[in-house]
Amino acid sequence: MNKINEDLWKQVAKQVRAWAQLNSIWAVHFNSGSCNGCDIEILATLTPRYDVERFGITLKGSPRHADVLLVTGPVSRQQRERLLRTYEQMPEPKFVVSVGTCSISGGVFAGSYNVIGSVDAVIPVDVYIPGCPPRPEAIIDGIVQLLTHLKKNAQQPEMAQEVVP
Amino acid sequence: MNTEQTLQQTEQLLSGLSLEISFPEPARLDALITRDHLREAVSVLSKGGGYLSAITGMDLGPEAGLLEALYHFCSGPAITTLRIRLPRDHKATLPSIADIIPPAILFEREMQEMLGFDITGLDVREHIFLPDDWPDNVYPLRAEFSQEQAAPVAVRPAMEQIPAKGARRGNTFVVPIGPQHPALKEPAHFEFGVDGEIVTSARMRLGYAHRGIEKLAESRNWFQNLYLFEHVCGICSHTHSTTYSMGVEKLTQVEVPPRAQAIRALVAELERIHSHLLWLGVSAHEAGFDTLFMYAWRDRETVMSLLEQITGNRVNYSANVLGGVKCDIGPEQAKTIKEGLTYLAGRIRHYLDIVTTDAMFLRRTRDVGTISFDEAVRFGLTGPTARASGVNHDVREKAPYGAYTQFPVKAVTTTNGDLEARFFVRLNELLVSCSLMQNILEDLPEGPLTTRMPRKIPAGETISRIEAPRGELFYYIRSSGGENPARVHIRTPSLCNWTSVLEKAVGSQLADMPMLISGMDPCFSCNDRLVKVTRPSDNQTWSWKQLREYGIAYYKR
Repeated sequence: MNKINEDLWKQVAKQVRAWAQLNSIWAVHFNSGSCNGCDIEILATLTPRYDVERFGITLKGSPRHADVLLVTGPVSRQQRERLLRTYEQMPEPKFVVSVGTCSISGGVFAGSYNVIGSVDAVIPVDVYIPGCPPRPEAIIDGIVQLLTHLKKNAQQPEMAQEVVP
Repeated sequence: MNTEQTLQQTEQLLSGLSLEISFPEPARLDALITRDHLREAVSVLSKGGGYLSAITGMDLGPEAGLLEALYHFCSGPAITTLRIRLPRDHKATLPSIADIIPPAILFEREMQEMLGFDITGLDVREHIFLPDDWPDNVYPLRAEFSQEQAAPVAVRPAMEQIPAKGARRGNTFVVPIGPQHPALKEPAHFEFGVDGEIVTSARMRLGYAHRGIEKLAESRNWFQNLYLFEHVCGICSHTHSTTYSMGVEKLTQVEVPPRAQAIRALVAELERIHSHLLWLGVSAHEAGFDTLFMYAWRDRETVMSLLEQITGNRVNYSANVLGGVKCDIGPEQAKTIKEGLTYLAGRIRHYLDIVTTDAMFLRRTRDVGTISFDEAVRFGLTGPTARASGVNHDVREKAPYGAYTQFPVKAVTTTNGDLEARFFVRLNELLVSCSLMQNILEDLPEGPLTTRMPRKIPAGETISRIEAPRGELFYYIRSSGGENPARVHIRTPSLCNWTSVLEKAVGSQLADMPMLISGMDPCFSCNDRLVKVTRPSDNQTWSWKQLREYGIAYYKR
């Protein structure tokens, strides 16, 4: 009897967590050496025309409050340490979205003495949004894809414990 | 006084100090001087030959065995270059001129770091652009530099963890801002020492977004570089590619067709509107006026749509090609642009009304961060920040280029120099841009869009300057006749304005810092994070958001 209760509680807790997660994604934005093109497009997604807050998504000041890390730009040598530190400060479960061509491959800056390259060379990345810079619609699409993935995982009880690869 | 008279006068001023004077291109004087005469020549020029625009350091390579330092002074369209040649094998020593011209310190630190010049009188040895783990005596802009030399050395303590000298004395505490402050265009790091409410010291560290573009440019061909320079800044990408194209076209002596020049100007003015509206929103946000932020960004979408319609892209439009532009404007598009401009002009007048009459907002802007005319000249300010202090300098008016010779612009200036004046100048500038664009569209010249460009650019050097949204953008381009440039030096307008942020911060209220920094328009986006204020009494740490809220609450009292 107790065993059943415990399982039921676990199941309910899991569902509540998934519900909360899916409806209020808090993001933190990190500029790892970008030209600022992607950064202004991320901001544009928050403002009236694109209004990403419809999905419960809002930008947060502190990485300690965030579920999603939005990284823009190729990783510069000086920012590498700071990117790692920011990532480590985020609580689990955490997801990384790499916004823009530079953050995926280094873009036009590949080969420079001060650029390490892509974001996934430093931290694990869940969603890649290509574009120079990606349009606000593309950024929204990327985040919605992340949400869809989370939703699928939440519906499969055996997968729910795992963090999305 | 016309350009020739200015140059003749400068020639007389420099006649006793220089080894050789030449006129390499129209409106430009080049004086070769020795190191011993540098300080004298600089003080003579700063009194009578205009303002210091940039200092370019250069390595001419092992064959020539020379390092060059070029001091560019501009006055209207006239440019005077002081050229110093130093042997490459010895340590190249140069006297500092930062006590004569304060903003020179940034260029001197750049030369020290990137090329290994030894600037005497400059007691700063720490990095400003290169990473903390950069090895000693390795200079990326030297000809023999290779990636292997730059292997990270054992990590020194990161700069942002060291308090400024003597900052923790008595009641003084250090407030670090950044580096991964997403609100900054380039993630920068500041340290403000505070005594109670008053800021007593300020320090800055750049280089978090340093991507080594100047070095990369040397390994790419002239056409590839167009797209590289567009990525110097995502907000004013068009101005960068225009300045670069103008320089290369000047070197090749190619005349860009008038229609292409008009379209370049049109895109540049649309970009100015998008950039200033972005700034208006962000500054309003820092003051706690989020309604204005959302409205300004909503209207900014009108400009973004127009830009997308013309070029196919919202940001990084790539409208330019070397020798012209790649997008045309048809009658349908012209009509849409005109409609958009009429709507925007109405909205801008409304915002102008708000920022000059709203009592709450004026408490945050009037008489805050005032920069007098003399200070603006001394700090070498540029762009709207300088024009708000009464410095009548706009490259479009003083040294017209491209389509601005046909469609003249009158610079907007005012004399108050406070934050309110900067709002006033920027918004009025937008009205000027709107009517200018209407004129261009009415009178769009007919003809082709491009001229043929050769693959190799003739040897030579040139300077091109344009008025970017944030001020004068300066490119020095040198070709050795090959497929790649030999050296490109970029002086962005924000770099000049940083000096004034640091100088004006001292003595200001801590609560005014967010507005003061964003008032200079260093591309503050609206996010909030990572300002940490450590209070002495409770040892509590604040975030940027808390600091912003503190600023708002402070003014409600």
